[in-house]
Amino acid sequence: MMDEHERDLFERTIRSMFDSLAGRTLEESLRVAGWHEALSADPRTAISVLFELAGERNANPSIDPVVTRAFSPDDLRGALVLPPFGSCDAPAVRRDDVVVVRGLGTAQLLEGEWVAVATRSDMGTELLRVPMSQLDCRPIAGMDPGLGLIEVTATLAMAPPTGDDTTDRWEGALALGQLALSHQLVGAARSMLWLARDHAVERVQFDRPIASFQAVRLRLADSLVTVEAAEASLSAAWEVGSPFAAAVAKGVAGRSARVVSRHAQQVLAGIGFTAEHPLHRFVKRTLVLDQLLGASATLTRSIGEQLVRARELPAPLAL
Amino acid sequence: MELDEFRESLDEWLASHEGSLRADPADADTLEGQLEQLTRVKRATYDAGWMRWGWPERVGGLGGPTLLRAYLGQALTARDLVEPGIYSMTEVLVPTMVDHAPPELAAAFVPRLLRGDETWCQGFSEPGTGSNLAALTCRATWTDRDWRVTGQKVWTSLAQYAQRCILLTRTGPPESRHTGITALFVDMDSPGITVRPIETMHGLPEFCEVFFDDVPVPLERTLGEVDHGWSIAMDLLPFERSTALWHRGAFLRRRLEQLLATAPAGALDPLEVGEVYQALFAFEARSRATQHRLGAGERLGPETSVDKIMVATTEQALFDLVPDALPAELLAGDDAVSERWRTQYLYSRAATIYGGTLEIQRNILARRVLELGPDR
Repeated sequence: MMDEHERDLFERTIRSMFDSLAGRTLEESLRVAGWHEALSADPRTAISVLFELAGERNANPSIDPVVTRAFSPDDLRGALVLPPFGSCDAPAVRRDDVVVVRGLGTAQLLEGEWVAVATRSDMGTELLRVPMSQLDCRPIAGMDPGLGLIEVTATLAMAPPTGDDTTDRWEGALALGQLALSHQLVGAARSMLWLARDHAVERVQFDRPIASFQAVRLRLADSLVTVEAAEASLSAAWEVGSPFAAAVAKGVAGRSARVVSRHAQQVLAGIGFTAEHPLHRFVKRTLVLDQLLGASATLTRSIGEQLVRARELPAPLAL
Repeated sequence: MELDEFRESLDEWLASHEGSLRADPADADTLEGQLEQLTRVKRATYDAGWMRWGWPERVGGLGGPTLLRAYLGQALTARDLVEPGIYSMTEVLVPTMVDHAPPELAAAFVPRLLRGDETWCQGFSEPGTGSNLAALTCRATWTDRDWRVTGQKVWTSLAQYAQRCILLTRTGPPESRHTGITALFVDMDSPGITVRPIETMHGLPEFCEVFFDDVPVPLERTLGEVDHGWSIAMDLLPFERSTALWHRGAFLRRRLEQLLATAPAGALDPLEVGEVYQALFAFEARSRATQHRLGAGERLGPETSVDKIMVATTEQALFDLVPDALPAELLAGDDAVSERWRTQYLYSRAATIYGGTLEIQRNILARRVLELGPDR
């Protein structure tokens, strides 16, 4: 674990890394900056610092090193297939000897010969190793080509399950990934809020800055409240450390980013609708990030279902 | 005393004393019943020491971090031993006395409030000044012998039961706004005070109109400096939005648990329940961080409006579940449990109004946190 001083230093390192990418890819720069070592030593600091700054700058670090942490290198030897848009279920389903895969991958997926596919069956979750050659991979341009996502589909004939249930590891992987994406969403939401705030202060209509109009002020204040709510939930989710809390944090962060995106778009009005203004990049990215590893709508409903079924709440945060 | 030790020993003490502290359930329906219960709990926890932790020794406290107060209120609320609204008034009233009353006055009176021997009220709002506190007009005039107070307050909680009132008065010229306000500590049995409880939509006459007609108040009952009452009001707001809100969070958690436990199968929409739980989780996370900032001696400021907005909107979202989940109880039940849902549902309509409306809170954030400049 880093102490406060080391954390500050680390944050400055990552920040200046973003400022001087100079022809290097983000992945190369992260290696040079020692981010992967930090991820092993202090996952919370490494993930929160990188993904929040990335969100603010609309950068796109790979989620793979985060989600694969829960598995041993032996399990993996390749990238992990992510759930399809909206879902946080394992991306493959087994019926007897047939496995149907429907999921997503990052650009890293195409680099290896194998991928790891979490597969649901009556017996729990197993981690299958599948050669790339057996998967249909379609690069996704769509809403946000910059994310470099890949659609992965396959129908595979597989040997019967080995009985090794990896549900816990899969849930752990999912939780870490959700926390990382939540930080990215919070960073993006903060940037959208400040883009809108600066515009509101500078833009003059009817001889006064539009920031002086109640309708504009209330939108920006509501945006601030929802960003702070997401930030606080995330910090608490790290401390609680349960998959349930990570899902709560991702639900809050996803909804928060979408609320801020709506308010910022309205406050920025005409200029925010142009391709020249940076807002649209954040709007599109948050829309996709919300759908990865569980959309806010999916997660919120699932959290509610679990509570209604249990008829009780998880223990409160200890003061 | 540190928080962990306090938590452990308080939980142990409550486990063995909960039975004797618990109200007769019928009492919860009336304001008198709630106040009797509050007095019983305050006295027992004061005499056992719990209520004194987190307050300075010079006002009868035992010292220690403010977090101890936050935990005590949480523990009592989570066990349904007190109504958080009337319990947490202490969190707003006592800091004013600690920071601004003449030391001997604070030392003499604060223990009476902490022990439940007295009830106090806070005379801030007036008919013409709801959100616009700086426009207050209730006048205190110095007569060479004492202050004479004439004017009216409204929405004064528990004034009909109170022995004392922390009162904001106009001592400067009418247009002096922030610079001509003085705080006084007034005995409610002084001649010239008339209290009229307000009938409200939730059925408990918790709020009152208070009329002052040439009411004498001695000089030594002045809190802080003359004409500097505005800073007293401002100093108290962070308390109103920290410890007291943490207690309210514990109450909301308790009520959501009770709703989950009692709603018939299929009556709750999982999506809505998920939203309310997320809002509660986010509020608890936010408020906990605020408690720790306060505990570390940080000066709380306008950012606490975030906490207030979060708790108020969470409260309304939670109680908005009740009409669809328990319609028969809410609309037609005549038992104590139904009565409680009804009262609290209706009270939740005021959550975004009292203690600074939702609009005022958002304006505070707009002006002082987002620095959006003036609003006209």
